[in-house]
Amino acid sequence: MEAHDSIRASFGLRAQVIALATRVDPGFANRSFTEGYLAQPLIMAHGSALGGHVAGIVTLDFEGLTLDRGQLNPGAYGEGYADRRHPHTYLHEAMVVSSGAFARLGVSLAAGKGFVPFGTDDPMTRPFAAYPVNHHLAQILERYVAIAAVSAGLVMVEGAVFNGDEPVSPGAPPDASRFGDSWAVRATVTPHSVVEVEGSFASVTSPEIATGGGRDQRKWSVGARLAQPRWFLQDALVEWARTDELVGKLKVSEFTSFLAEGSTTLGGTTVSARFENTTRPEEERLLDPFRFSRNPTDLGIIGITRWHIGTVAVSTPLPSRRADIAPFVEVAYAHPSEEVTPSAFVPRDFYGTTSIWSASVGIRLGVGTMVHRMGRYGVAVPNAVRNVMPDHHDH
Amino acid sequence: MAFTRRLYCGSASILLAAVFGGCSSDSATGTKPFTGTPLSIIGHGQTTARYTAELWTRGNIAYTSTWGQRSATAVGNAVHIWDVAGNTPVMVDSLIVELATTLGDIQVSDDGKLLVVATERSNGSIVVYDLTNPVKPTRLTRFQTANTASGVHTAEVARVNGTLYAFLSIDPQVGQVAHLVIVDLSDPRNPREVLVRNMGNPFVHDVFVRDGLLFTALWNDGVTIWDIGGGGKGGTPANPVQIGNVRTASWSPAVGGSEAHNVWWFQDQPGGANAKRFMFVGEEAPGNGSLLNSSNGDIHVVDLSDMSAPREVAFYHVDGAGTHNFSVDEQRGILYAAYYNAGVRAIDVRGDLATCTADQKSSDGRCDLRKMGRELAAGLGNGQSFIWGVHFDGNFVYASDMLTGIWKLAAASRPTS
Repeated sequence: MEAHDSIRASFGLRAQVIALATRVDPGFANRSFTEGYLAQPLIMAHGSALGGHVAGIVTLDFEGLTLDRGQLNPGAYGEGYADRRHPHTYLHEAMVVSSGAFARLGVSLAAGKGFVPFGTDDPMTRPFAAYPVNHHLAQILERYVAIAAVSAGLVMVEGAVFNGDEPVSPGAPPDASRFGDSWAVRATVTPHSVVEVEGSFASVTSPEIATGGGRDQRKWSVGARLAQPRWFLQDALVEWARTDELVGKLKVSEFTSFLAEGSTTLGGTTVSARFENTTRPEEERLLDPFRFSRNPTDLGIIGITRWHIGTVAVSTPLPSRRADIAPFVEVAYAHPSEEVTPSAFVPRDFYGTTSIWSASVGIRLGVGTMVHRMGRYGVAVPNAVRNVMPDHHDH
Repeated sequence: MAFTRRLYCGSASILLAAVFGGCSSDSATGTKPFTGTPLSIIGHGQTTARYTAELWTRGNIAYTSTWGQRSATAVGNAVHIWDVAGNTPVMVDSLIVELATTLGDIQVSDDGKLLVVATERSNGSIVVYDLTNPVKPTRLTRFQTANTASGVHTAEVARVNGTLYAFLSIDPQVGQVAHLVIVDLSDPRNPREVLVRNMGNPFVHDVFVRDGLLFTALWNDGVTIWDIGGGGKGGTPANPVQIGNVRTASWSPAVGGSEAHNVWWFQDQPGGANAKRFMFVGEEAPGNGSLLNSSNGDIHVVDLSDMSAPREVAFYHVDGAGTHNFSVDEQRGILYAAYYNAGVRAIDVRGDLATCTADQKSSDGRCDLRKMGRELAAGLGNGQSFIWGVHFDGNFVYASDMLTGIWKLAAASRPTS
């Protein structure tokens, strides 16, 4: 029997954080905001036994302590936040994975709290500090999930059941009674070691109203990823995602996203660029204008906004034997416009303009070794053993 | 230019459209033009700084609430006070409710002494005003507890066996399911919570109270009838006892739930066999787009001959639009319904609504009020309005328009036959 798990080391531990200052102009009402954060403070641990047939993965995320108000991020939305990225839950991932091989098939079972096999890699593992608008269209995470995966040659197929409810706060666990009300499948093809192509579908029950009865979602994703540096590119991703929202079986809204990003190295400096064209739902804002109501008005939304965003980041890893240190500068330009008219949310009226600039200066810090690819488990990890975290290196 | 856009958005350009485009941009959903009798417009009180929400009138004064966020600085924290004595409603004053973003519901008590305003979203509460001077309400109290904090979506004020109560439909929020809170307003400076009960799937949206019966609109759970002092089952506002429930149909079979939004138990003034027989249930369904862009949902007629087993017998449907709140002229037997993008509809509801010819029935056996010729008149369905609420005051019909303020309309007439 051959081990197929991505985690071959017996134990690994890594801590990382991004310290940054961000200025957004305007955040709303022609008002600019400048704030500083510790973003993505993570401790990641993994271990394996029985020759890699059994593995455990734990990721702790302390954004609930450092980012309670959310990170300024024009266009970002979800879990009650708008134009700020929400903090993730303290227990970001806690998965047990069992892997094996039968004949020419690799088989794995994974269960715990973690990523649903849907969509592309989490933005946390990619080269930008600012999240794309499409995070809630292109990934599903922090759910109680059970995943079965099969690999055969160049093809990997995953199927999962999970709870549809989104996290309600950093410290709140998913609603265990809803486990199994949602499901997803993902197929990944690796025509060769350089490129991965994934296609996935998910049926998510009432993600926004945790007690159930809210709008359901049908989600599609297609993505192609550069798995290894090639040509002039260090990494690259192209993805399309779509989410239909339904009341019963009746489709009432559709949201789509196209995103392309890539990085290259110029004399020791990593230059990354991203373009995104994504639509997002608008819901009533609260007294804090960076917060959405988490109770959609009578199951309706108040508008749909299309976001065109271009982002450029420049990062220069500094030589260090004990840690990863990478100062960076990131600049984004966003253009929001109403997708349906008339709309109860008009970007020009709310923001005071339809041109929004944001800039961040910061430093990525990391220590330790990380070889597990966040969001994929067992035999569903293509080209299993390699470094997958941006700007991180095995030590 | 138009050709260029069509080409760009055409099938040969799907990839480009996906990358750069906004080609799927929708415009307001059109409704079929109403070709019958128009409701005559008498006057228009215009306000566009905020979105207008619910309205209530008493005498020559109208009160309108406001909703949501129309611009970065204009949120739904205002109550506008209108003098409606003349043809054109004139705004005479406004109240600002601090720490509020949506005032979804507003009502004057039956004795005209109190104005009750609901605050939704965060800081859910009711604000109670004294109306000794109806154009200068003075605040008595703001009632907020842990049970109201997640947002008061609607607040109905009604008297039960002589005591005035407010019935608060509370939004579900993180950690809380939807629930009904009943507040004793005997001492309006010191409201007293007498009931908190979880109900609704996922919302308890609105209630109707009459003759000691409570009707709760519970969205996918339909409408439940409770005895709270007039049903003979020992119920009280502090301990409602269920009498019956009905799951009304949906405007589309694909929806699968009732989407029960609001209720009116009709009591036809001439009396007779049908005088207290019918209940009207409004269905609010999301449109294919967003608010201000489209709406869906029918009016459902429920036969209450057996309150323990109510059943739907008829409906009223408007293509491309959905109903919101009602007001009924019980002297003339005319129901006025706010219909969002379709304006205001007036429907003849007198007589037996459960009996119709085969041609007037839908495939599921319910009578179609339109086919029965009960559609009397319509107004404001011009694509420039989005009508939230209506209020019939005995002489005129007032309509709150989310986009432009308040309209004063002439009442509809009954068919001369």
